Amino acid sequence: MSALTRLRHMDFWTAITVLILTVLALLLILPILRVLMLGFVDADTGGFTFGNFVEVFTRNYYLNGFKNSLYVALLGTLGACLIGIPLAFFTARFVVAGQTWISTLAILVLVAPPFIGAYAWIMMLGANGFITNFFAHFGINTPTIYGAHGIVLVFTLKFFPFIYLMTQTSLNGMNKSFEDAAENLGCTPWQRFTKITLPLVFPAVSTGAIICFVLAIADFGTPAILGRGFRTLSTIAFSAYRSELGGLPTMAVTVSIVMMAMSMLALLAQRRILAKRRYASALTNPPRKQRMQGWRNVAMHLFCHGIVLIAMLPTLVVVYTSFLKTNGPVFIGGFGLESYERILRTAPDAITNSFIFALSAVVLITIFSGLISYVIVRRDTAASGAIDFLMMVPYLVPGVVIAIGYVTTFRGGPLDVVGTAGLLILLYFIRRLPYGVRSTTSSLRQIKPSMEEAAVNLGAPPAHAFLIITVPLILPGLIVGALMGFITAINELSSTLILYDGGTITMPVQIYLAVLDGEFGLAGALSTVLLICTGACVYAVFRFAENRDSAFL
Amino acid sequence: MASVEITGLRKLYGNVMALSDITLSIPSGAFYTLLGPSGCGKTTLLRTIAGFHAQNSGQIAIDGASIEDLPAHKRDVAMVFQDYAVFPHLSVRDNVAFGLKQRKVNRTEIDTRVTEVLEVVQLGHLADRMPHELSGGQQQRVGLARAIVVRPKVLLMDEPLSNLDAKLRVDLRAELRRIQRDLGITTVYVTHDQEEALAMSDIVCVMHGGIIQQAAPPLDIYLRPANRFVATFVGANNFLAVSRTAAKATLVSGGAEITPLIRDDGPVVGAMRPEDVRVLAAGTTAPEGDIIVSARIREISFIGREMEIFAQTDAGEHIKAVSRPDPAIVALPENSPVTLAIRPDDLSFFVDSGDGVRVP
Repeated sequence: MSALTRLRHMDFWTAITVLILTVLALLLILPILRVLMLGFVDADTGGFTFGNFVEVFTRNYYLNGFKNSLYVALLGTLGACLIGIPLAFFTARFVVAGQTWISTLAILVLVAPPFIGAYAWIMMLGANGFITNFFAHFGINTPTIYGAHGIVLVFTLKFFPFIYLMTQTSLNGMNKSFEDAAENLGCTPWQRFTKITLPLVFPAVSTGAIICFVLAIADFGTPAILGRGFRTLSTIAFSAYRSELGGLPTMAVTVSIVMMAMSMLALLAQRRILAKRRYASALTNPPRKQRMQGWRNVAMHLFCHGIVLIAMLPTLVVVYTSFLKTNGPVFIGGFGLESYERILRTAPDAITNSFIFALSAVVLITIFSGLISYVIVRRDTAASGAIDFLMMVPYLVPGVVIAIGYVTTFRGGPLDVVGTAGLLILLYFIRRLPYGVRSTTSSLRQIKPSMEEAAVNLGAPPAHAFLIITVPLILPGLIVGALMGFITAINELSSTLILYDGGTITMPVQIYLAVLDGEFGLAGALSTVLLICTGACVYAVFRFAENRDSAFL
Repeated sequence: MASVEITGLRKLYGNVMALSDITLSIPSGAFYTLLGPSGCGKTTLLRTIAGFHAQNSGQIAIDGASIEDLPAHKRDVAMVFQDYAVFPHLSVRDNVAFGLKQRKVNRTEIDTRVTEVLEVVQLGHLADRMPHELSGGQQQRVGLARAIVVRPKVLLMDEPLSNLDAKLRVDLRAELRRIQRDLGITTVYVTHDQEEALAMSDIVCVMHGGIIQQAAPPLDIYLRPANRFVATFVGANNFLAVSRTAAKATLVSGGAEITPLIRDDGPVVGAMRPEDVRVLAAGTTAPEGDIIVSARIREISFIGREMEIFAQTDAGEHIKAVSRPDPAIVALPENSPVTLAIRPDDLSFFVDSGDGVRVP
């Protein structure tokens, strides 16, 4: 076929593939490449240099940040595993009362705004925290929450739901025959557990661990609020960006590249390990739950419920403080709604902005999720493989990186016409798109391709067939994806902090600023508003998702 | 009603030749079946006609007009799918009306045609049901109704009965054939079930490895298979080694001279259908003129309306025979000597190399 006839034959989906690739190239690849290139630019001369990387790996300021990031991310991940794996085993293999309650709380912890945990712990264990004060009454000094171990604690309690939910899903999907066979061949229960069960859930555990690690490396809010001189790469990148304002943010970018490299390396390592371990099996014989007896049963229940309650504690504290009577930043005893009055007075912009940005992003996410998942699932071309791969990129690239990419690429460029609000919407769209695509893709995989083929065969043009046949069938996936996109977009902090200006402040930014100012009442009220939105979306996901737990992963 | 002409069609998946120079011609109104094992290219060919795959080269023409440039939704060839592909969010009526709506047929005509076709497939009483309320057989009737209601030029069916249970399959088979005859609609039918193919078709086209092995009416396919593949794939066959010298050809088993039966030079093998082999207890005299091969019983299975006898000739060749149950034979212990009798006319010969083409 000649090029001309090829063009004439370009069907609807080829055109859509081109559109998707264009959008991803412009909004995802270009800013990231720009960031990567800036890492090799000399800030003063504008020439090419390796000096930035030399600086990062020789100066103690950066080296410490690197070590600190690695330290809290590794320990946080380890902590999450130590809590998440036993929790998953108990709930998957034994009868635990209030199982739905446990997984619901774990999911709420997962989706709660990430920085809330950090500042709620300050209110409990900080210099003037109520737990600190309570023990000080008796002359007992509680350990401070500031610094590395505070961050590790927050990471552990924030990220364990990933490990828990993934391991649980894997355990529930494991054919009981494997364990039966092991027992039948003479394994003791403990041998069966270590030789059969544990290796079989290893892929799930390691995937959960990688997610924890990547998120911990990229997390900005927690070390920013709890660090107090303990700097991680993400806070270093942010303050470098702030101090380089006006000039080229080369150091901020270089630090970000190191962060990305760490995440990528972790992911590649895990893929390599997993490559030889693919265990697919039909669930012909689903596992059955056993009943634990006596004190073991009590201990198990205490552990399971205790964990999720402690993890939920920050959220409860935040909601509680929002209802405390305040005078300015000071709590004056008793309950009152002053904090809510204040957010209506001082931060109505933040609330409306948050909703406008998140909703606009969700509209884009939903439209593109539908189209992208179709291209990924139904079209077996190099382009669809590339798009599938690109959908992993936003997971791996810290918010700070993309945000700096957006500033350096689009500010002053032709795309600047969309303004800061427009840039924020596009940024949320591209960063949260993978949530929508994941959920829609798994929905679409369950729809037989013959559905669309039948529609086309009966005379419907491809675009029409997609709209009237495919879209109604993948609607649950689209809705769940939209809700997940909304939850994660409205809670976005790190990249907004870099992009926002006077008129485009959002709730998370306002909360962050309020916490820095010690305005805990205001922060509490705003956080409660965020939590209510998030909670409502979670409830809606429960209604629409086929598998309520895995929808959040 | 329309005829289909396919010339030199070729389709590659990477380096794998899925269709290799397919040339065939389907007369108007014929029931044309593509038969072959999985991976033989039959479904690929059907889907290429439907426009779901683009061929690498070659032409498809309907009524003499090439359809190569038409996208799938403009080809006017309606397909019935193996997995029914009934739209789960539309009622039976809306499913059937789907193609008519795409063709912008007016409402009143849609209503009459849908009602009509639902009667034809005996689903009139279920018009307002949703697909999940229907059985597999009913869903496939919806699939059929949906395809024929648009009065396509060609009806394509991709193993439409293979997901149904055996009894239903046989019933629906007859019904499909009846409807196809009544409408006189040119039909291309894909199946791997030889019985289905033989029972329904005007022409059976046996495919293997992306190549057409033989396209002929069912009786010809069965009685005069074009090569060894067709001979084994459609019905079973026993193959017997033939030893040839310049002047004489004999069966290796039994040593019967068969020189006058072979009209070709070169190495050949003999073949016969299991039902053409008669098993006689030792000592019984065989009918006049039959080829006699002495053998021993290896195994006998009695499966109800017939018995299957697996025997080994004295020369070591394995032969399967099928016949009506004979208590005297079924009772024979292993290793009992028997006589196998074959009428010379029932022997056919294939070249003993390459494609194994039939020797006329």
